[in-house]
Amino acid sequence: MLAGALFLIGLPLLAQDEYQLHLACLIGCYWILIAGLNLAVGYTGQLSIGHVGLLAIGAYVFAILAGRNGVNPYLALGAAGGMGGLCGLLLGLPSLRLPGFYFAMSTLAFALIVSELILAQGGLTGGGVGLAVPGFPKPVDTPAGFYCLVLAVSAVVSLLAWNVARHMWGRALIAVRDSAVAAAAVGVPLFRLKLTVFVFSGVTAGLAGALFASLQSYITPDTFVFDLGLFFFVCIIIGGRGSILGPFLGTVVLTVLPEAVAPLARLGNFFYGLLLLMVVLLLPEGIGRLVSVLRERFWPVRLESVAVAPDLPRLARALGHKQP
Amino acid sequence: MSLAAQAVSRSFGGVAALSRVDLELVPGEIHGLIGPNGSGKTTLLNLLCGYYRPDEGRILADSVDLTAAPVERRAPAGVARSFQTPRLLPTLSVLDNAMLGGWRELRSGFVASALALPGARAEDARLRERATELLHGVGLGRVLGRAAGHLEHAEQRFLEIARALAAGPRYVLLDEPAGGLTGAEIAHLGGILGVLRGAGIGVLLVEHHTDFVFRVCDRVTTLDLGRVLARGTPAEVRSDAEVIRVYLGA
Repeated sequence: MLAGALFLIGLPLLAQDEYQLHLACLIGCYWILIAGLNLAVGYTGQLSIGHVGLLAIGAYVFAILAGRNGVNPYLALGAAGGMGGLCGLLLGLPSLRLPGFYFAMSTLAFALIVSELILAQGGLTGGGVGLAVPGFPKPVDTPAGFYCLVLAVSAVVSLLAWNVARHMWGRALIAVRDSAVAAAAVGVPLFRLKLTVFVFSGVTAGLAGALFASLQSYITPDTFVFDLGLFFFVCIIIGGRGSILGPFLGTVVLTVLPEAVAPLARLGNFFYGLLLLMVVLLLPEGIGRLVSVLRERFWPVRLESVAVAPDLPRLARALGHKQP
Repeated sequence: MSLAAQAVSRSFGGVAALSRVDLELVPGEIHGLIGPNGSGKTTLLNLLCGYYRPDEGRILADSVDLTAAPVERRAPAGVARSFQTPRLLPTLSVLDNAMLGGWRELRSGFVASALALPGARAEDARLRERATELLHGVGLGRVLGRAAGHLEHAEQRFLEIARALAAGPRYVLLDEPAGGLTGAEIAHLGGILGVLRGAGIGVLLVEHHTDFVFRVCDRVTTLDLGRVLARGTPAEVRSDAEVIRVYLGA
């Protein structure tokens, strides 16, 4: 854990060229979105494949505010997050009541609509020509400085997601995913939870979009192809549901592998499809659980059978506390 | 003070599953609900839990009208349940599953939880402590960390009970809790139900295992064809001629 953190902080010193740092920033931007999306997809089981639309909204808000209107980039970054959250709310309100498949389709439709709107509102968004996106002021104007900003936002978003996941909200989210009936029976308001988490994922997608746009320095509607939305989704599935480390590894592996191994890049989407198929068939728990699955396979832990033996006085004490 | 169904009726596709049935569950009693298959036991349970709305009649918990309240409003009103087929979260630990039952006491929202504010952490710790005590109480103290998907059948049943108790309910509805248990485990279950009664909780026991029902219950209601056939102490119901003819057999 500590070694990993030190590695991430020291990465600008270790990187051999600017391209490696650029790749690290790209992973960071993706992860900011995926860390939020993971709570919706991996924990709550809401299969959104259209978050690329929210990413695009964050990117364009940032480009229009900071680029065209000269707003302070940090304010524009915050505005992009806010707009992402608002659009997440507007998308979630009608669609989160739909059953899984139809919900996925409505997020797909959302991404397509965003793309068309960007093209249609050329006066604001530059249409098909696109927009130039400014960087951040000193000291974040160097690649290493920008990397530190991305790292800081990633760390905050990861921490928030981790806090949610390990407390009561995390248990309730998994209950919504695995047994909506049991969740409702203990009083979990299903729709409110789904919507809250979806808005959070919208905020992180908006933040990610702003940083992503600044990293790319020029955006067009083609920057936000639908494949990217599917890519985010696949990172989570390959990483493993109900974990934070797994989807992070998924994001790193799926971003780096095609870059590092040139023949894989030629395969393009075929590579993602193949990897997804292999993981779903061979390791449905995700690559985040690879070690523990292998350990279980070769050194199975024998679960000793323990006869259920109630401790009635203790039960009475536990209940007695409760009674007014 | 009671959980009550008042003259509830419910039909499915023109077939009456329940017609004008009354049931009152008071704190500190174990109330058995028995009857042949299709007599309306499950329908009545689902009306009390909010999975169905009654066509007629009312559902009240301590005089609060719950007739139109959705499922997730029943737990805050003090009504908890277990399921005929245990519905646990297989990837979470036994302790996490039991803690989930305490959701209705949670005051921290998403933001407080995401920021891990002291209040949210303290709530989590309190729920953890309560769930741990309850799990030791029902006999699962040695498997707190085990994934619920790895539990044996009896353990799953007792975990469902612990989860139902985690929010400190006034009424607990148990749907065939003795199903698939061995004799020794049923005896343990009986002990647990006795403790619940002592703690002032009203227990509704929907059960096929009539010996067990007559042994542990204070009152028994027998349904047949969607109507109340007989109601009273176990001794009265057991000797009721109609009940013997329709359900118990000679």
